Amino acid sequence: MDVLYLLIPLSLVLVFLFGTLFWWTLHSGQFDDLVGPAYRILLDDDSPATEEADIAFDLKSKVNRDEI
Amino acid sequence: MCCRGCQAVAQVIAGASLGSYYRSRTSLPESPREAQRTLVKKLRLYDDPRVQQSFVRKGAEHVKEASLILEGITCAACIWLNEQHLASLSGVLGAEINYATRRARVCWDEGRIRLSEILQAVADIGYHAYPYDSTRYDEMQRKERKTALWRLFVAGLGMMQVMMYAVPTYFAKGDMSPDIREFMRIASMVLALPVVFYSAGPFFAGALRDLKLRRVGMDVPVALGIGVAFAASIWATLDGRGEVYFDSITMFVFFLLCGRFLEMNARGKAVQEVDRLVKLIPAMAERVPEFPASREVEPVPVSSLKAGDWVLVRAGDTIPADGRVEEGASEVDEALLTGESRPVVKRRGDAIAGGAINVASPLFMRVERVGQETMLAGIVRLLDRASSEKPIVAVTADRAARWFVFAVLVIAAAAALGWYLVDPSRALWVTVSVLVVTCPCALSLATPAALTAATGTLTRLGVLVTRGHALETLAKASHFVFDKTGTLTQGRMSVLKITALAGLPEAECLALASALEQSSEHPVARALKEEARRIKAPARLPAEHVHNVPGSGIEGVMGGRRLRLGTPRFVQALHGKPFPIKPDESGVTLVALGDDCGWLGWFAISDRVRPEARELVAALARMGKQVTLLSGDRIEAAQAVATALGIETVVAGVSPAEKLDYVRRLERGGAVVAMVGDGANDAPVLGGSAVSIAMGGGTQLAQASADMILLSEHLVNLLDAVVMARRTMELIRQNLVWAAVYNLVALPLALAGQVTPWMAGIGMSASSLLVVGNALRLTRFKVSRAKGETEPQRAVAPA
Amino acid sequence: MEAQTTYNYKVVRQFAIMTVVWGIVGMLVGVYIASLLVWPDMTHIPYLSFGRLRPLHTNAVIFAFGGSGLFATSYYVVQRTCQVRLFSDKLAAFTFWGWQLAIVLDAIALPMGYTASHEYAEMVWPIALVILVVWVAYAIVFFGTIVKRKTPHIYVANWFFAAYILTVAVLHIVNHLSVPVSLFSLKAYPIFGGAQDAMVQWWYGHNAVGFFLTAGFLGMMYYFIPKQAGRPIYSYRLSVVHFWALIFVYMWAGPHHLEYTALPDWAQSLGMVFSLILLAPSWGGMINGIMTLSGAWHKLRTDPILKFMVTALSFYGMSTFEGPMMAIKTVNALSHYTYWVIGHVHSGALGWVAFITIGSLYYLIPRLYGKTEMYSQRLITVHFWVSTIGVVLYISSMWIAGVMQGIMWRATNPDGTLTYSFAEAVKALHPFNVIRLAGGLLFFLGMLIMAYNVWKTIAGQKAAIAPIPAVAPAHA
Repeated sequence: MDVLYLLIPLSLVLVFLFGTLFWWTLHSGQFDDLVGPAYRILLDDDSPATEEADIAFDLKSKVNRDEI
Repeated sequence: MCCRGCQAVAQVIAGASLGSYYRSRTSLPESPREAQRTLVKKLRLYDDPRVQQSFVRKGAEHVKEASLILEGITCAACIWLNEQHLASLSGVLGAEINYATRRARVCWDEGRIRLSEILQAVADIGYHAYPYDSTRYDEMQRKERKTALWRLFVAGLGMMQVMMYAVPTYFAKGDMSPDIREFMRIASMVLALPVVFYSAGPFFAGALRDLKLRRVGMDVPVALGIGVAFAASIWATLDGRGEVYFDSITMFVFFLLCGRFLEMNARGKAVQEVDRLVKLIPAMAERVPEFPASREVEPVPVSSLKAGDWVLVRAGDTIPADGRVEEGASEVDEALLTGESRPVVKRRGDAIAGGAINVASPLFMRVERVGQETMLAGIVRLLDRASSEKPIVAVTADRAARWFVFAVLVIAAAAALGWYLVDPSRALWVTVSVLVVTCPCALSLATPAALTAATGTLTRLGVLVTRGHALETLAKASHFVFDKTGTLTQGRMSVLKITALAGLPEAECLALASALEQSSEHPVARALKEEARRIKAPARLPAEHVHNVPGSGIEGVMGGRRLRLGTPRFVQALHGKPFPIKPDESGVTLVALGDDCGWLGWFAISDRVRPEARELVAALARMGKQVTLLSGDRIEAAQAVATALGIETVVAGVSPAEKLDYVRRLERGGAVVAMVGDGANDAPVLGGSAVSIAMGGGTQLAQASADMILLSEHLVNLLDAVVMARRTMELIRQNLVWAAVYNLVALPLALAGQVTPWMAGIGMSASSLLVVGNALRLTRFKVSRAKGETEPQRAVAPA
Repeated sequence: MEAQTTYNYKVVRQFAIMTVVWGIVGMLVGVYIASLLVWPDMTHIPYLSFGRLRPLHTNAVIFAFGGSGLFATSYYVVQRTCQVRLFSDKLAAFTFWGWQLAIVLDAIALPMGYTASHEYAEMVWPIALVILVVWVAYAIVFFGTIVKRKTPHIYVANWFFAAYILTVAVLHIVNHLSVPVSLFSLKAYPIFGGAQDAMVQWWYGHNAVGFFLTAGFLGMMYYFIPKQAGRPIYSYRLSVVHFWALIFVYMWAGPHHLEYTALPDWAQSLGMVFSLILLAPSWGGMINGIMTLSGAWHKLRTDPILKFMVTALSFYGMSTFEGPMMAIKTVNALSHYTYWVIGHVHSGALGWVAFITIGSLYYLIPRLYGKTEMYSQRLITVHFWVSTIGVVLYISSMWIAGVMQGIMWRATNPDGTLTYSFAEAVKALHPFNVIRLAGGLLFFLGMLIMAYNVWKTIAGQKAAIAPIPAVAPAHA
């Protein structure tokens, strides 16, 4: 079981790294808003560009019609 | 397009190809104002370095950062749109909006864009942004939360990893070589160090503070338990003999922190309710110095507003101070002030409160109170007062906990001594177990956690708890005494019934009456005019040669004929014909209308009973409470209301001093009286009853002596408060009973040496988590207001 | 700079297409070796023997199919959620070609009998080196993109991807630590020996499952399920807790693979305890994913892509329940080395990994080629049902066979001798091997349907160009 002499210090180092990582995430504000990110990805529009041009056109025409 | 604002938004969306806005949007943003010259001028003020001082932080050269409050945000799509829009401005280095708090942080390059331009850009897409000073409270709370989370994480990580090393030694039973066991112990010790010295820091600090003040709090046994166990474990590790308790220690700390973290979150939520109120007042207002001669506005900081100033409040703006509408009619959203979710109609002469949002159309207002005198400031002060007072039950619990701790320390010392004499090898861990298992955290956490949760929930419902003892006394109240006017009734006259005679349509009849009363501010006149507006009666030119006969009525000339409006006798004097019905005395005022030839009609006017009052009285009766109507009004009027609501005990025609007397008599008879009245004229009796609840009409609020205030003016919410109060007390009782039972079982077991430290840790932690969890159930209180809302509530002008 | 105003979809496209291709190859090999179990005398060509092709099957489905899927989705997700183009196009292209090279080399070496003889790490040392270099490049591209992100927050899917990339790198290095016989020999000796080698191998094997086949695909789940459902994840808070709990606990549950071996008893028990604790975060994640659909369950009826994703989560929940149960020592005494383990692996690999990958690809592929949806929704539905029936046939036959096997092995006569000889137990497996083959064939058929659907979707389509929104010119 000599490998434990390697594994135990290794686990300590790992725990330390883990802690550091959490510290960084906490203090870089990753946990400040735990509601928004879920919405943010939905609002990122990844449907193809061709369709988007249509939407844009559609809206503009509507705007013009309403201005009259 | 519904408005020009949406059109602007659509253009931005289409132009910037932010098409997904339309897919995720769940509700429409409020209608924005037109982009106006004055707005630009107003926003320019924010560029002034002196103004910026309070809310702008400087980064690198030219780089500035500010926190903004965003208004008009209704859904996630709005936030995203704002964010995208801000980020696309050249010169804006970063923009991020917190979905939970709806505050934005914007970082910009001073050389390329100015703050006013950023704010303008937000206004262009129909939202409203203004800076606020985030350094005070927010920042503090965020830091506190971060620290707590970090402590919790360190403890959790330490606990898990120490378990990793400890569990094998439990399983191994001999097939693990001593050197590996020793090695694992050292590793555990290394991991327990940060847990004890950092995560458990607050317990040691608390214990130290207690000792300095020469008292014993709950932190003392905790700190002692952790400290003794840790020291002994270190000794055992270095010595190579004896037991180590690193796993128990880390676990104990972790669970304790869990409880505290939960409690902190609950407190944070309650504080947030108050915090939302504080942030309501905007930084800038638009003063109209020469109103009404000129409508020219000048933007000024709100802090420089004085009573008597005229201010323009545009649609979408927040009302900067308390005052009265001078011109215009609009709807105002007072949700954050009163809990009333629908906008309230405000017309000329109506009082409006600072912090409410004008949602419909521009208003010119005259400022009456500013700064600390406003209703908003009053609310915040009252809430602060409540939170600074400890209710009796909490004081009792605290005192009990102190004695308890003291007893525990003595018992632990006795146990240590006893076991030392019997079996020295067990003395240490038995003592630690005793200290840990009896930790009175549950006892100390139970009451405040439940009270904060309850207060926070009630604030959200529009019930302000302004005294620490209020919930407790309300739960115990046996008698509910109601004032009539303004409490069970709406506190203002309204037209109950119109009877038109001489073949006239009702609307026509009302139109004539309201034309006569055009310039009168008498309550009856207001009721008639209000009703005319409500049913949209045809408008008439104001009457001529109007003259008022005090106590009788009003006379004037319309279209060449002389009209009279007032008491039947006054009108009869004009034509001499007898009044068609016999007036009854049941609290309804009859106002007759007639001309030279005879009767034209009459109106039944009365102070309308609040629609939800009946439900409240019935519900209280079901709970077995004595309900009394205590009124200064005539007995007939009081009796009419009492009959309508099903109240059996009526005391009428009493002066404020007699009211107080009545309540005192009841209380001498052993009753616990909850007095419900309207804040201003019931002050003495409110002050004299065990617990008092005031209806929260604007002005009186600041000096209200009531223990609770119904900001929403929904009587149903009073019922919520009663239910909530009873539930809270029930929960506290449950928690205390639980703590007692737990200790009765656990302490003897621990003394008998049947509880190892890790079992003690789990037992105690489970007990306090249970208690906190139980208390937190109060935040999920179901609202019972739905019924009260069936009748649309109209603006109530403060008397 | 045109390149900086668009996302790099090219490398995503390449990996996405290769995912389908390698899926077909890997599952074909799987079907082939399954038929070898039914008809052991089918062939005697050494290159096509079970022993050589079994690792090819596992490597092809895990690293070629699963790996390509993870490359494609992680590159896509990290770009979209960080709103920047990949850190380096060249390095990204290198990861694609390097990864394909490693797979092809492995597919040649294994049938030829060159193996490092570590399960799920059979590639010989030169290929392992190629993989290492590619993986380092992958990490640079991924973390480089995170570093230059335009959004302050790092979406939770990226956390899972990051954990998977980092951990797999460490695992790969440690388990491949070996000394080649010579520079020109493919044979290398691992630096650990005996029980230590076994422990390292199963620390690797377990975490390969935990981080490659779980964390990576959870990253996929946390992005593509909300996107496909059009709803935010049920609780973002929970997803963050899920991440930290999972990566911390997973690391230590490895020894359960070695229960009843030469490993010290306490280490086995420890593995068991941690495996049981692991249930909590796993189920937290599953519930979080499934509850995302709460309020939109109706979408499940009409949307075959969501069907794939939600079924994947159900299988995830099932196998993460089954896993800890099997780690309990008394259960393990029955299940170890039997077909039950194979059933468990496939309920995870087919039900969870393949289903979530297929669902994500159906979401991804049309968007990469400028289309709004796949060529045929009907074919997706058909694919879903065919594969579901396939998986169910496969794992139920393996469960029954496994339990039967375990019981037969341990059955003893009153005099203490074994009731059944080993060969008798093997013979009893025959009908289950047939059912397993049928299940595998159905799943394979599903992949062919998918390939056809993908081909019809992208044939003649121009590659989509995706502009990065924040860089769009301001209109205010």
